[in-house]
Amino acid sequence: MTHRIKSAALAVLALLATTTQAAAPQWTLPVKTHTLANGLTVVVSEDHTSPTVGMSVVYRIGMRREPQGRSGFAHLFEHMMFQGTPTAPKGVFDQVIQGGGGVLNGSTHADYTNYIEAAPVSALEPILWLEADRMKTLDFSPQNLKNQQDVVKEEIRVNVKNQPYGLFFWTDIARLAFSKWQNAHDGYGSFTDLENANLQDVAAFHRDFYGPNNAVIGIVGDVDANEVFRLVEKYFAGLPSRAVPKGVDVSEPYDTGEKRERQTDPLAQVPAVAVAWRGPTQGSKDQAPMAMLSQLLLGDSASRLYQGLVKGRQLAVQLDGGLNFPLGGAWDYTGPALFTILALYKPDTTADAVVQAMDEEVAKIARDGVDGKTLAALKTRMHSSYMTAMEPFLSRADAIARAQALWNDASTVNQIPGWIEAVTAEDIRRVAKTYFKRENRVVIDRVPAPTAADKSATAN
Amino acid sequence: MNRIATIIIGTLLTLLATDSGAKTLPLPKDLPPYGADKPIPVPRIDKHTLANGMTVWIVVDAEGVPKVNYVLAVRGGKASDPRTQNGLSDIMAGALEEGTRTRSAIQIAQELQALGAGLGAAAGREGTTVTAGGPTSNAAGILALLADVVRNPIFPEAEIELAKTNAQQGMLAAKADPGYQAGVAFDRAVYGDHVYGTGEPTAETIASITPQMARELHARRFRPERALLVVSGRADAGQTLKLVKKYFGDWPRGSGPVEADVPAAAREVTPARVFIAREGSVQSAIRVGRPAFNAADPIQAKADVAETILGGGFGSRLFDNLREQKGYTYGAYAGFGALRNGGSLVAAADVRNEVTGPAIGEINREFQRMVDEPVSADELARSQRYIAGVYLFRNQMRGSVAGSLANLWLEGRAPEELGEYVNKVRAVSVADVQDVARKYFRPQDQSIVVVGDPSVAEQLKPYGSFGSSAK
Repeated sequence: MTHRIKSAALAVLALLATTTQAAAPQWTLPVKTHTLANGLTVVVSEDHTSPTVGMSVVYRIGMRREPQGRSGFAHLFEHMMFQGTPTAPKGVFDQVIQGGGGVLNGSTHADYTNYIEAAPVSALEPILWLEADRMKTLDFSPQNLKNQQDVVKEEIRVNVKNQPYGLFFWTDIARLAFSKWQNAHDGYGSFTDLENANLQDVAAFHRDFYGPNNAVIGIVGDVDANEVFRLVEKYFAGLPSRAVPKGVDVSEPYDTGEKRERQTDPLAQVPAVAVAWRGPTQGSKDQAPMAMLSQLLLGDSASRLYQGLVKGRQLAVQLDGGLNFPLGGAWDYTGPALFTILALYKPDTTADAVVQAMDEEVAKIARDGVDGKTLAALKTRMHSSYMTAMEPFLSRADAIARAQALWNDASTVNQIPGWIEAVTAEDIRRVAKTYFKRENRVVIDRVPAPTAADKSATAN
Repeated sequence: MNRIATIIIGTLLTLLATDSGAKTLPLPKDLPPYGADKPIPVPRIDKHTLANGMTVWIVVDAEGVPKVNYVLAVRGGKASDPRTQNGLSDIMAGALEEGTRTRSAIQIAQELQALGAGLGAAAGREGTTVTAGGPTSNAAGILALLADVVRNPIFPEAEIELAKTNAQQGMLAAKADPGYQAGVAFDRAVYGDHVYGTGEPTAETIASITPQMARELHARRFRPERALLVVSGRADAGQTLKLVKKYFGDWPRGSGPVEADVPAAAREVTPARVFIAREGSVQSAIRVGRPAFNAADPIQAKADVAETILGGGFGSRLFDNLREQKGYTYGAYAGFGALRNGGSLVAAADVRNEVTGPAIGEINREFQRMVDEPVSADELARSQRYIAGVYLFRNQMRGSVAGSLANLWLEGRAPEELGEYVNKVRAVSVADVQDVARKYFRPQDQSIVVVGDPSVAEQLKPYGSFGSSAK
């Protein structure tokens, strides 16, 4: 029953002392937090440089905790959130927000689902009303459910089934790496499970996971924080809190032995390999060093794997990956996360050669660590990227809402740069040794399927 | 000093429209109205020309994220590549950061990392841009590096060879994507033999590229008198100009031949019917469209409103029909794309195999409805506000305002157009939208391109005789 207002200092821009080459500035966001009696938390960061507002409503529910037998349901449900309510039928939401000059979207991740809007600040109040309206209840309509089951199946076709590689580096890698259904299942869902979803499922999911006490609203832009708190009280205070079912233990063991799989891809023309190691848990002392190791291995064209595999050995064509790749960043998970590397490689080499080259590069780091100059450069680059990623109001709103939802503290956004700054060369060496072990990883090699012509050539 | 000039918007619009627009839904009675609109900030641009002819636009202020962004643009892009060397502009642009007279590729990469900076070069059809950005505290170091890769690249043999090999593999990977295949075939259908329709690289054109070709192209294209530098972000304008003069003031003017201008693309072509068989496809990638206007055409604002109503965002007619009503697709969109010397209109949707024919039918129906019926005043007002809002976000990030200004320059337009745009959009009438539709949306004028499984060919029959390529 407490109304709590936490307020941080106003924007402090600590530009570190410069010589010829300065470290990146550490940018402190002003963050104010207010929690309603029903448990809804609002986080506001004022920025008056543009007459707009970015907003993100984050619910603490994602693919990991969707019901068994209902793979893909958290994402299907996200679509249902745009299908109208008894008071604002289908279409009103889009019409009001876009007609107010705004854009909107939603996205589903392992541990959270977000609903985002960016608009001229004049549209803030109707947007808050609409978010409160769909937090209260939905229009549980069979036509709309059928419509979105079709739409989601088309989404899976366009992003998975009709594409080369079919996101194997996400779904198949998770299946191979994890032992528990919550972590291992396909978050996009099987068509059978999606088709079996019914309105009772939709109603139960909304009741259990979409109450105000399971949500955080982040708002950034040309607003007054106290005025935002007043508006949120006005539109959301009447929603009662709802019991959230207790989660099961989703933790996974490490070092359970290497697993390898080989797949053929009828649509791809260039072979690919994905390697994934089980990464540190949220909040572990290894998380920041692992994020920095990701920068060192994959972050830019100075990175070890780019220089070692694309340039030096000339085995790989393209590289991608990182901690919590591809659905989120290094700070955006609460359950188990993988450190995944995806490489498209040249037809005149093999996945084994590519993986061995990765091992050699990691072994060098595990043996020698990094020198002081490299460590400083990595930190500068990470501070700069962190700041750049939060430049749009919408991204910043999402970041403060995620920090509150996943870390229970919005000011985590201002602590992360300090965690990065504190990483030592020894930390990087330690995480390279601890996590990048053969018995802690899975590998999938995915090669183009032989064409009919190839097959007949082999037969002859 | 306040560096933001403002225009005041006249009246406050509300959405509580009472007219009878077919798509307008009644609003919930308790929904609060929009608040008062705030003035839209217009970027103030300090314009300079250096003694060597280089154009410099500075759009900086003392607020916001402590970051500075540079965009250097030069005239000439992929459309100027010799047809036998398609891909040369891409290779040349990519290799700018692969070594200069005083820095190796790895030195450049490590220096960027230490500066906390990003740098990248890309060739468009009508221009080539090099962008760099990073912390304001490193503004000088980043600009020095940008100047070096722009002025002094050496295009080492080994780096060009590697870039060629990787470009060929990258192209193979791209070709597996139905969207890429559809895009290439669509450009060929609407632009015909014009370079906009024939500029795609092949394994052969990439193989023919040499370091010497890249050096010669660089010499023809990168000249101060054909270059623009835009600086945006948080910085001091006077200090910025000093830095620009320091690193670019002694860049000598070019000599020898410059690139020939790209000819104008045709505005009318015989509509084509192209079906590209992709064995095993579970969706058909459908593209419907035609040639349209070039970037400087005064119809732009009217066309933007028309395209928004037909196919922009989540509230458009195509999105509502094909996705929200029929469930045929994850998304259906339409829009104009305007280049310096031509442009096109395209409507796009990827749909499951069994509804390929019906989806084309619905796209045609929405085109025809725009031609036959005036849009409602309410639909017009919503799309105008939507466009104005999106404009605001585009200007909110200093990196994007620099890119928008560079594009205007490459298109041969004045930078002031950025600040005039929203008012032009607000002046568009229902009749203007129908004029655009009558000119560009008639279904019988559209080419149709489909990439899909051979089994869907039967469904295409009602829409004409489909060949495997444009004539």
